[in-house]
Amino acid sequence: MAITNGARTEFVCDTVGKTLTVYIRGEIDHHTAVSIRQGIDAMLFERRPERLVMDLSAVGFMDSSGLGLIMGRYSIMRELGGELVVYNPCRETWSILTLAGMERIIRIEFPPDHLPPTGAGVRRGPGASRATTRTPRTPRKVAQNRKKEKDA
Amino acid sequence: MRKRSQFSKEVLNKMQVKLPALSVNEGTARAVVTAFVAQLDPGVTELADIKCAVSEAVTNCIVHGYRHSTGYIVITVSILEGRAVKIEIRDRGCGIPDVRQARQPLYTTDAAGERSGMGFTVMESFTDCLRVTSKEGAGTTVTMFKKLTDRDPL
Repeated sequence: MAITNGARTEFVCDTVGKTLTVYIRGEIDHHTAVSIRQGIDAMLFERRPERLVMDLSAVGFMDSSGLGLIMGRYSIMRELGGELVVYNPCRETWSILTLAGMERIIRIEFPPDHLPPTGAGVRRGPGASRATTRTPRTPRKVAQNRKKEKDA
Repeated sequence: MRKRSQFSKEVLNKMQVKLPALSVNEGTARAVVTAFVAQLDPGVTELADIKCAVSEAVTNCIVHGYRHSTGYIVITVSILEGRAVKIEIRDRGCGIPDVRQARQPLYTTDAAGERSGMGFTVMESFTDCLRVTSKEGAGTTVTMFKKLTDRDPL
């Protein structure tokens, strides 16, 4: 079953056992998120799956509207007593997800042969980056740092 | 984060686009800005960052600025000396009463939960400098600067 909306975003739902997989293609922004949301929600309440997989392999662009879309589906699945899996986001999408710290809340899966895009070049959330770059504020630490500089 | 003064004031090229505040134009805005910036031959990640930041700013104009009204969004892109880009996105909508609060991560005025409240955080993280000026009842201007990495000569 395929539902198309416009030229850029389409999704296909197929229920295998208790799993509902949604393939999203194209770009997720505030404009396209509306119809994707309606489509997924209609399916969710009709089939009541135990597991919802959002396959983002073919998503070339996603902004914070996509985060809202995922978070919204996450809370619905939790209410239904099921789980949500985000499958195979591309590097750009992954960097948005980690910026919001979503990888700590939501299960993100990759194909078996695919290395997850961690390590160098992956941005962390605003809190995380600030914590590592913050200069010591307490007088003792400032004094210690000065001493270190002097010694060097 | 860089300071605004670290960017050159010399404008090499400039583009201005005026679009009505329709959600379908979020994609248009991204595409137009990307096409204009392409003359600097940016990296794939840099281009993705710019696309995302523009999308957030334009979405804000439509979802928040023109929540109760309709109007135009004016996007001005300048190519600055030293491989830098300045993107200014302006609306004449309702304005933001408290910019500092609006820029907080996860802050959202939408209680229904379909908006993440990450718009300004994304813009801040994906560009080098973000300035937001707003006046209640008069509109909001978002200015973003991005320095592109230098390309090695062939």
